[in-house]
Amino acid sequence: MRLLLPWALLGSAVFSLADPSANAAQDSQKTVDSAAAPPQHFRNINLVRNINLEKSYARETINVVVENIDSKPQSEYYFPFERGQIKRIGGLEAKDKKQPERTGFTAEIAALDQTSATEYYKITFPAALKPNEQITLSITYVSLQSLDPLPAKIEQSDKQYVRHGFSAYAPSAYTTLKQKTKLKLPTTDVPDAVKLAASLNAEGKEDPQRQGTTFTYGPYGELPAGAVEEVSVRYEFTKPLTHSTRLERDIEVSHWGGNIAFEERHWLTNRAAELKNQFSRVIHQQLQYYNPPTSALKELKFPLAVGSMDPYFTDDIGNVSTSRFRSNAREANLELKPRYPLFGKWNYSFRVGWNADLAKYLRGAGGDKFVLKVPFFEGPKQAEGVAYEKVITRVILPEGSTNVEYTTSLPLVDESVTKHYTFMDTAGRTMLELTALNVVDDQRDIQLVISYDYPFAARFRKPISIFAAVAAVFAITAVVRSLDVSIGRKTKSS
Amino acid sequence: MRISQFFTAALLPFSALAAKKPTGDRFQDSNAAQLANGRPLQLDDKSYDALTKGPRDYSVAVLLTALDARFSCTLCKAFQPEWEMLGKQWSKGDKKAESRLVFGTLDFLDGKQTFQSMALQTAPVLLLFRPTTGPNAYNDPIPARFDFSSGTDKAEPIHTWLSRQLPNVPHPPFVRPLNYLKIGVTITIVLGVITFIAAAWPVFMPIIQNRNLWAALSLIAVLLFTSGHMFNHIRKVPYVAGDGKGGISYFAGGFQNQFGLETQIVAGMYGILAFATISLALKVPRIADPRAQQIAVFVWGGVILGMYSFLLSVFRIKNGGYPFWLPPF
Amino acid sequence: MASATKPQSTASGVFFEGETARNTRGLLRIIILCTIAATAVASRLFSVIRFESIIHEFDPWFNFRATKYLVQNGFYDFWDWFDDRTWHPLGRVTGGTLYPGLMVTSGAIWHALRAISLPVDIRNICVLLAPGFSGLTAFASYLLTSELSDSPSAGLLAAIFMGIAPGYISRSVAGSYDNEAIAIFLLVFTFYLWIKAVKEGSVMWGAFAALFYGYMVSAWGGYVFITNLLPLHAFVLICMGRFSPRLYVSYTTWYALGTLASMQIPFVGFLPIRSSEHMSALGVFGLLQLVGFTDYIRQQLPSKQFQLLLRTLVLVIFVVAFGLLVLLTVSGTIAPWTGRFYSLWDTGYAKIHIPIIASVSEHQPTAWPAFFFDLNMLIWLFPAGVYMCFRSLKDEQVFVVIYAVLASYFAGVMVRLMLTLTPVVCIAAAMALSQILDTFLVAGEPAEPIEAPSTKTNDAKDKTVPGIPEVLRSTKGPLVGIYSYMSKAMITGAVTCYLLLFVMHCTWVTSNAYSSPSVVLASRLPDGSQHIIDDYREAYYWLRQNTKPDAKVMSWWDYGYQIGGMADRPTLVDNNTWNNTHIATVGKAMSSREEVSYPIMRQHEVDYVLVVFGGLLGYSGDDINKFLWMIRIAEGIWPDEVKERDFFTSRGEYRVDDEAPPAMKNSLMYKMSYYNFDKLFPAGQAQDRVRGSRLPAQGPELSTVEEAFTSENWIVRIYKVKDLDNLGRSHQDAGAFEKGNKKKKAGKRKGARVLRVD
Repeated sequence: MRLLLPWALLGSAVFSLADPSANAAQDSQKTVDSAAAPPQHFRNINLVRNINLEKSYARETINVVVENIDSKPQSEYYFPFERGQIKRIGGLEAKDKKQPERTGFTAEIAALDQTSATEYYKITFPAALKPNEQITLSITYVSLQSLDPLPAKIEQSDKQYVRHGFSAYAPSAYTTLKQKTKLKLPTTDVPDAVKLAASLNAEGKEDPQRQGTTFTYGPYGELPAGAVEEVSVRYEFTKPLTHSTRLERDIEVSHWGGNIAFEERHWLTNRAAELKNQFSRVIHQQLQYYNPPTSALKELKFPLAVGSMDPYFTDDIGNVSTSRFRSNAREANLELKPRYPLFGKWNYSFRVGWNADLAKYLRGAGGDKFVLKVPFFEGPKQAEGVAYEKVITRVILPEGSTNVEYTTSLPLVDESVTKHYTFMDTAGRTMLELTALNVVDDQRDIQLVISYDYPFAARFRKPISIFAAVAAVFAITAVVRSLDVSIGRKTKSS
Repeated sequence: MRISQFFTAALLPFSALAAKKPTGDRFQDSNAAQLANGRPLQLDDKSYDALTKGPRDYSVAVLLTALDARFSCTLCKAFQPEWEMLGKQWSKGDKKAESRLVFGTLDFLDGKQTFQSMALQTAPVLLLFRPTTGPNAYNDPIPARFDFSSGTDKAEPIHTWLSRQLPNVPHPPFVRPLNYLKIGVTITIVLGVITFIAAAWPVFMPIIQNRNLWAALSLIAVLLFTSGHMFNHIRKVPYVAGDGKGGISYFAGGFQNQFGLETQIVAGMYGILAFATISLALKVPRIADPRAQQIAVFVWGGVILGMYSFLLSVFRIKNGGYPFWLPPF
Repeated sequence: MASATKPQSTASGVFFEGETARNTRGLLRIIILCTIAATAVASRLFSVIRFESIIHEFDPWFNFRATKYLVQNGFYDFWDWFDDRTWHPLGRVTGGTLYPGLMVTSGAIWHALRAISLPVDIRNICVLLAPGFSGLTAFASYLLTSELSDSPSAGLLAAIFMGIAPGYISRSVAGSYDNEAIAIFLLVFTFYLWIKAVKEGSVMWGAFAALFYGYMVSAWGGYVFITNLLPLHAFVLICMGRFSPRLYVSYTTWYALGTLASMQIPFVGFLPIRSSEHMSALGVFGLLQLVGFTDYIRQQLPSKQFQLLLRTLVLVIFVVAFGLLVLLTVSGTIAPWTGRFYSLWDTGYAKIHIPIIASVSEHQPTAWPAFFFDLNMLIWLFPAGVYMCFRSLKDEQVFVVIYAVLASYFAGVMVRLMLTLTPVVCIAAAMALSQILDTFLVAGEPAEPIEAPSTKTNDAKDKTVPGIPEVLRSTKGPLVGIYSYMSKAMITGAVTCYLLLFVMHCTWVTSNAYSSPSVVLASRLPDGSQHIIDDYREAYYWLRQNTKPDAKVMSWWDYGYQIGGMADRPTLVDNNTWNNTHIATVGKAMSSREEVSYPIMRQHEVDYVLVVFGGLLGYSGDDINKFLWMIRIAEGIWPDEVKERDFFTSRGEYRVDDEAPPAMKNSLMYKMSYYNFDKLFPAGQAQDRVRGSRLPAQGPELSTVEEAFTSENWIVRIYKVKDLDNLGRSHQDAGAFEKGNKKKKAGKRKGARVLRVD
C-alpha cells in the first residue's frame, strides 16, 4: 500500500467527519510538501481533451504530449484545478498512452501555496524524463456536481436542462502549443452553447464545431500556463442527478457460519431541478400510464454477485415492501423502489443488505492465513450514473484475527483498524475501516483485497467463554441456595 | 294542562290590553304579568307577534313547544317545568328588570300560524329575540335559536346559553331548588331499614351469613355483567326488535350491537352451562348409587355439549366468519 | 415452587412415593411451565412473521419514542424531560406526565444485553417486550392459582389459559408496546404476593407486594384497580368477622410501603393522599387500626359493658372519620374522581361532559360477543369457578369472588378493561376445570380417592371461622367418587375436545383480529397473495426526509404520536389528550372555512397539515368519519363558531355529496380530503368508496394551503400552509387574480368578510 502510511496517523483526526464539507480539509491533509509554484520544466506539445457528459457527472480525459524542456531529468508533472473545484475531483489517474501496461504513475494533491486560487495534482512518473525527451500522458478524472439544472425549477412533466461550465482551454500548468477540447453530449437537444470569436480559433473556423452530439472547441494555438476561457453548454438531460452524500458499507465475515454479510447504508439526494409547484399525485399517476423520461428517481437496481441470498431493504422506520429480488444461476438483481419517487432536491436514506457464501470471497493462503477479496463498494447501477461524495467501507473480520493487510486501486483518504463488539464477543472483532472520496459508479468493480491471520484456537474462544459463564452462574446459584438466611426457628420446607 | 290553559285564558285579554295601551311599554307590562303568575307568559299567535314585533328595546325568549299528548313530545314535557323554573327565577332574579328579558311559551295548539310561518317540523324550539333598539341593540333581526338536538332537558345549559347570547346585561343566577320531600323520604327509609335490621338481627344474621345466598348473588352479578347487560344500560338498546316479516328476531345482526332479550338468553345459556359444570364437578361424585350417577353424568355431559354447541351457533350469527362449531347445532 | 408442591404430594401420591416423586413432579412442572411460556410467546408473533418487527398502532409509538430518548439521554434527562416537539407551542412536561415503568424496563433490558455485548436494536426489544412478559404472566398466574386452589392441575391450567386467552393477547401481541404489556404481569404477580402475605401474615410477603405494587404504579394508570381491590378485600374480611393478625400485618405493611413507593412516581406524586381514588385504601388502613386496637383490648379485659362501650366508641370514630373524608372531598382538599374513573360509575357522564374520552373507541361498553370472542369457553366456566370458591370460603377465595364481581362489572362498562377481567376468568375457569379433571381422571376404584377431598374439607373447616354455615347445598353428603370408567372416559374426552376447540379459537382470533399493526394495512390481491398498503409510512418518511426538522405538522390528535415517532416532526396535538382547548383549536381549524382556519394556523406556526382520506381505497378509519368528533370537541369550546347542526343536512343526514351542507363543503377538512380527487375520474364520476356517495362534479378549491404530498393510495395527504401573499393580498384574491376572474370572487368574499367581523 503506497502512500497510505503517512495518513494513517491522521486517521483519527478525520475519522468521524461525516459532512461533505470536510472533504476539502481531508484533501488538503492528503498532501506532500513541496516548495514553490510548479517550475516550468515541461511544455505541452499537443493536447486533446475529451469531456464526456453522458452521465450525471463529467468525466474528462486529457491526452497530452509532454516534453521536458529542463536541463535536468524531471519526473514531477503538475496538473492545476481551481481551489473550489478540486474538492469535487475524483479518481484522477495518469497513464502512459503509448504503453498502458506501464505502472508506477502516482497522483496526489500538492498544496503549493494556500493563498493562490489554484491547486495542483502532482503526477510522478515511474522514471524521470530526460531533457528534450517526450512522453504521452493520458490523464483521466471525474468532476462531481458539475451539472446544474437550468432552469432550477420545472413543472412535474417538463423536460430538464442542465448546464455544464468549463474552460475552453484545458487546464495546464505549462505552456501549451496546440490543443482542442471535445465534448460528448447525451443528446442533440442543445439550446445554447457559448460561442467563441473565430479569431481565437487557430484555423479561424467558427467555435465550437458540432457534429451530432459532439462539440469541439478549438484547435487553439500556443497558450501560456493557466490560460482560461470560460464557456458553458446547456443541454437536455431529463434524468435524475442521483447524488449520494454518504455511503457506509459493512462487510462481516463469519468463518463459523461460512457466511459473508454485506450491508450498505445510503444517503441519497436528487440534484435535479426542483418542482415549481408542489408534488401532485394526480399528475404523477396520469404520467404513470406512458412513462416519459423524468428527472424523478423512481427505481434503483443493484446487480449483486451471483449467489447472493436473503436481501433486505429497510429505512429508519422499518421494512420497505416495494422491492423485488430476482435471483437465478446467472444473475442476482435487487430492484428497489423508494417509498416515494425522488423529485429534485428530495432526499432518501435507506439500507440494503444481503448474505453470500463465504467460500466465493475467501481463500486460505496456507496455515492460519486467509485472503478475502470483495468489491470495495457496490450500490445501485443506474444508466445515468451515481456519484458518491464519500464512501466508508468497514470490514469486520472474525474475533481474534491479526495482522491485517489490504490493497485496493481506489485512492483512499483514511484507514483505521479498531475493535467491534457484537454477539457476546469477549475480545472483540478486528474491524478495518477505509474511506474514499468522490467516487462514481463506474468504479463499482474495484476490488479490495484483505489478508489476515486467523489462528485455529481463536475459533473456540466464544463457546468456551460462554460455557464458563453459564457454569459460573450455576455454581453461584448452588451456593446461594445452600445458604439458609431465615430468621427464627428452622422449619422443614421442601 | 287544563290549568295552564285557564291561565292563558285569564292572561290573554290582559296582555293584549297591555300591548294596546298607548302609554305603557310592552316590556313593563309583560314583565309584570310574568312576575304576577310566576311563570313565562303563555302566548298565542297574536300576543306572540305583538311581543316580538320590532322595534324592540328588550329581548324575548320564546319556547315553541308541543305539550299536548297527541304529539307525544317527551322532550317537551320533560323540559317544560325546567323552563318555567328558569323563567320564574330569572324574572325574580332581577327585580329592576335590567336584563330586559321576557320569557314566553308558545304551545303548538295556540300558535299554529307561527309554527307554520316558521315551517317548524320539530319541537321544542327556543328562540331568543335580541333587542333591535336601545343600548345593546343587535344588528341582525334573525332570532338566535337554541339547539335541542343534543337532547338536553335541563335548565342549566339554557341559562348559560342565554347568558352568552345576552352579554353586558345582568344574568340572575339559576339555582336548582332542593327537593326536601325526596330527602326526607330517603332519610326516613334509611332509618327505618336500619331499625328493622337492628330489631330483626337474630333472624337476619343467618340470612346475611348464608353462603348460598351470597353465592347466588355474586353468580347472578357475574352472569349479568358478562352477558353485556351494562351495554344495554348505557346504549339503551331495544329489548327486542321485529324482523321484516312479522316475526321477532331474537339476535341483533352485527358484532357490536345486541338486544335486551338477546343478552338474557345468553346469560341463561351461560348459567345452564355453569350449573351443569358445577353439578358434574361437585354433585355427581357425591351420588352414592352407581346407576343414578351414570345417568347424571350422561345428562349433564349432554346438557353441556348441547348448550355449548348452541352457543357457538348463536355466535356464528353474530360473527359471520366464525369457522368453529360443535354437533348437534 | 415449593409451596405448590405440598398439596400435590397428597393428591396424586398414588403414583409415586416420597422424595423422588416430588422431584420428578417438580421437574415435570418446570418443563410444562416452560412450554406454556414458550407457547404464550409464540402465539403473539403472528404480526412479526406476517409483516415485520414494527411498533403497532398509536400509543406504542410514543412509548417507543420515549424509550429511545431514555436510551440516548440517560435516566435523569428522561426523568425531567420537557418535550418541545409535541403540543406546539405549549410543549409537554413528558418526564412528569408519563408512567415510566415500561420505558425503564426495556431500557434496563437494553443495557443488560449491552453488558454481555449483545447490541440488540432497541426497537426489537420494544417489539418483543410484550410477548416476553406474557410468558411471565402465565407463570405468575400459575403461582396465584396454586395459592388459591388445592388441586395440583389448577395452576397449570390457569397458566395455559392465561397464556393464550385472546382477551390478554389483544393488548400484548408483538409490537403493541403499551403499558398493559407489562402491567398485567405486575397485576397478577402483586395479587399473588398479596394472597401469600394474607395467608402467611408475613411482613416479607407484604413488603414484596408493596414493591411490586410500586412497580405497577410506575407502569400503568390501572394500578388504581389494585389500590381499591386490596382494601375492599380487607374490608370484606373484617365484615365477615375474619379479622386476624395476619390480615393486619399484611395490609399495614402493604399500605405503608406501597403508598410510599407509589409516591415516588412524579406523575402520581401526592395523589395517594389527595385524590378520591385512593381514599378507600386510606380509610381501610384507619379501620384496621381501630379493629386491631379493639381486638387487643378485648383480649386484655373481658368486661362485657366495657366491650360494648368500646364497640360504640369504635363505631363513632369510624363514622366521624368517614364524615371527615366526605367533608374534605366536598371542600375540595381531596380531589374528586378524575373523569376517566368517574365515567366508570356514572356511565353517562363522559358522553355529555368529556367528548374526548367518549370518542375513544376502547372506552365503549362491551357487547356480549366481545366477551365470548375474547374468552370463549372460559366465560361459562368462570361462574362455575366462582361458585366453587364458596365451597371452602377461605380468605384468598373471598378475594377471588370480589375480584370476579368487580372486574366483570368494569369489563362490561369499558371494552378496554376486559384486560383486568381476563386473569380472574382464567383462574376461576382453571379451578372449575381442574375440579372436573381431578374427579374424573382418577384411575382407580372409587374407594381410594375419598381420602384426599375429605381431609381437604376438614382442614377447610378449622380454617374458616365457626358460626358461618359450612357446606354449600351442592356439597352436602359424603364424597364418593366416580364409579364407571365409561363416564370417566366420556367426560374426560368431552373436556379434551373443548380444550382443543378453545386452543383453535384462540389461535384463530389472534391471527385474524389482533395481529395487524394498523400502521401497515394488508389487502388480498385477486390471486390471494398478500398486498401491503404502506401509505402511512410513505407519507411520514417523506415528511422526515424532505421537510425542515422543525416544521410543525397539524393533524387530528390520533396521528400525533405516529408523526412524532415516524416523521420526527413537531405536532400540535397528540394522543396524550391533556389539553382539551388545544385539541379543540385544531378541531376548529379543521372544521371552519379557510378564512377562519388560516389565521389559526398562522398563529400556531403550522407548516404542514396532514389529513387521512380513505375515499379511494375504501379505508373507513379516515378523518371524514372522525370529523364529527372534531366538530363536537370544537363546539365544546366555541359553541357560537362551530355548530354540529350546521354539518347535517336539513333531514339530519351526514353527507359529502352534492347535498352536503355549505358548512361541510367549506370546511378545511372536506376541502383537503377531496382536493383534486375528482381529477382521478372522468368528469362527474368521482366516487367516495367509504361513504359510497358520488362527489360534486366541481371539486373544492384551496387558496390558503397547497398540496405538498399525497401517498400512493391517497390515504395520507399533506398540505403546505402558504406564506402570506407578498403583495399583501388575501390568498383568495391572489388565487382569483391568477384565475383572472377577480370581480366575481371579490363580491363573494365581501359576504365572507362581514361574517368574519362578528
